[in-house]
Amino acid sequence: MTLKKYQKIKLAIVVAISIIFSQSIIFKNYLIPIATLVISSLILMALRRQIKEVIADERDYALAGKSATWAIQIYSWISVVAMFVLYALRDLNPSYEPIAMTLAFSTCLLILIYSLFFNFQNKIKFTQNKNKFIVFAIILAIFLSIFTIRLFSGEDNWVCQSGQWIEHGHPSFPAPSIPCK
Amino acid sequence: MQTKIKEYRAKLNLTQDQLANLVGVRRETIVFLEQGKYNPSLKLAHDVAVALKTSIDDLFIY
Repeated sequence: MTLKKYQKIKLAIVVAISIIFSQSIIFKNYLIPIATLVISSLILMALRRQIKEVIADERDYALAGKSATWAIQIYSWISVVAMFVLYALRDLNPSYEPIAMTLAFSTCLLILIYSLFFNFQNKIKFTQNKNKFIVFAIILAIFLSIFTIRLFSGEDNWVCQSGQWIEHGHPSFPAPSIPCK
Repeated sequence: MQTKIKEYRAKLNLTQDQLANLVGVRRETIVFLEQGKYNPSLKLAHDVAVALKTSIDDLFIY
């Protein structure tokens, strides 16, 4: 298989995934998108193995590195500015606050992951000193796990009980405006 | 940076595609190398020099 043919198939699969995703969201089915992703990834992996040409070389990797750095910087600046604006306007609409927080935490996470991989490439790959990196990665994983569990534990949130929104813990935002059924 | 890749390639009757396959890169990389728009790694410079039966010093002029 040629690289061009592979790229055309890849584009077709991406279009198909987008259509399936949008339809699944409309019909509130979340199993179909996951199955579609897994199947399409397997198809692409199988097709990729059949390509005899060079898919990417050192020039692509150099460009990918630069593009990734620019993308991270642009995203970080946009999300930080948006976060400040939304947080400042939270009195106008309480839903701005969680959006601002999501933007802030996603930026922090992105920079954290970038630093982790940069350090891995920069030091560990050349020095063979893997122990420090493993310890750091474990500490980071524990920290992220605690944060995730705390975030999705339902603490300090509004709970729908008997047709009424009841405080669970001490939520910093007002009760949801959607009806509690 | 200037290169003599095109000159040496012509001597050996190699196309850009053939040279790209010999050194394991994409044809576009050879195009940019010939135009002096891409600074290759030492490994790629060495591989191109070997494929064109010459030395890095002869091929690349800084």
